[in-house]
Amino acid sequence: MVDIEELKSKFLNTEFDTKDFILDAAKLQIVAKQCGEQLPMYCDTSHPDFQALPSYIASLAAGRHLPIDFPRLGGIPMDGGKAVTCHAPVKPNVKLTGKTHLHDIYDKQGRSGRMLFMVSRMEIYDEAGTHLASSDSRMVVREKPAQ
Amino acid sequence: MSTINTVADVEFGVELATMTPDTSLDAVRPFAEAVGWGGGRFDDHEKAKKEGLPGALVPGIMAMGFLTSIIHRWAPVAKVTTIDTVFRAPLIADEICLVNAVVTDIDEDTGVVELDLTVKNERDETRVFGTASVSLPLSA
Repeated sequence: MVDIEELKSKFLNTEFDTKDFILDAAKLQIVAKQCGEQLPMYCDTSHPDFQALPSYIASLAAGRHLPIDFPRLGGIPMDGGKAVTCHAPVKPNVKLTGKTHLHDIYDKQGRSGRMLFMVSRMEIYDEAGTHLASSDSRMVVREKPAQ
Repeated sequence: MSTINTVADVEFGVELATMTPDTSLDAVRPFAEAVGWGGGRFDDHEKAKKEGLPGALVPGIMAMGFLTSIIHRWAPVAKVTTIDTVFRAPLIADEICLVNAVVTDIDEDTGVVELDLTVKNERDETRVFGTASVSLPLSA
């Protein structure tokens, strides 16, 4: 059985990935429109406060969600959910940096065995180092039964 | 439903007007391409079935977008500060889904309102659920 506390002590809160982005206003507009959004600040690229919806911010965290040396715990991790916390507008056409760390590891006992949850958090900063938003990706994997 | 301009306009327990978003492949495809997730599982039912899926999927983060939209329709002045969604089961493209939210907490001192969120299919099965924390003006 995987020792959650050992995983936490080894992997939590250590940055393991950094990515730079420049968001495309047209893509932000498409995402807003297809989600049924109506507010001009998300739909109109000429709006002075035009910015990304939380769902677009969540998409930035796609890619490597776990440290390269994180152990294989069972099957392929499934996408268990996403969370976004907004501190300031995330705007297009400016350089952004996403820094990712493992934020939490926990388990739940289900009917079919123990499920393990890993939450990776990407913190998004602008060039001035202002923390604009955080995007959490919750991955879930069914623990491999003991042999 | 009354217009929400400040936190004082919000009633505890109120259910927001249900939204029935466009989940057609023609809506899902451009969303998936815009976020860089193009591929069969989001734009073609047959290709998705070959991957073992029940049909082409509506991306979970698109459902998150439906949920922020329903909040903005209810209160255009609201700022969604946190939204947390659990992808419980796949949401299938071209199937009707119902997006709902209910007010579960109001802090009149800070203007912060909490909502419970659900996305269900026509069979009343929950596909996505979650919570949001939104910030509203204290006064007009």
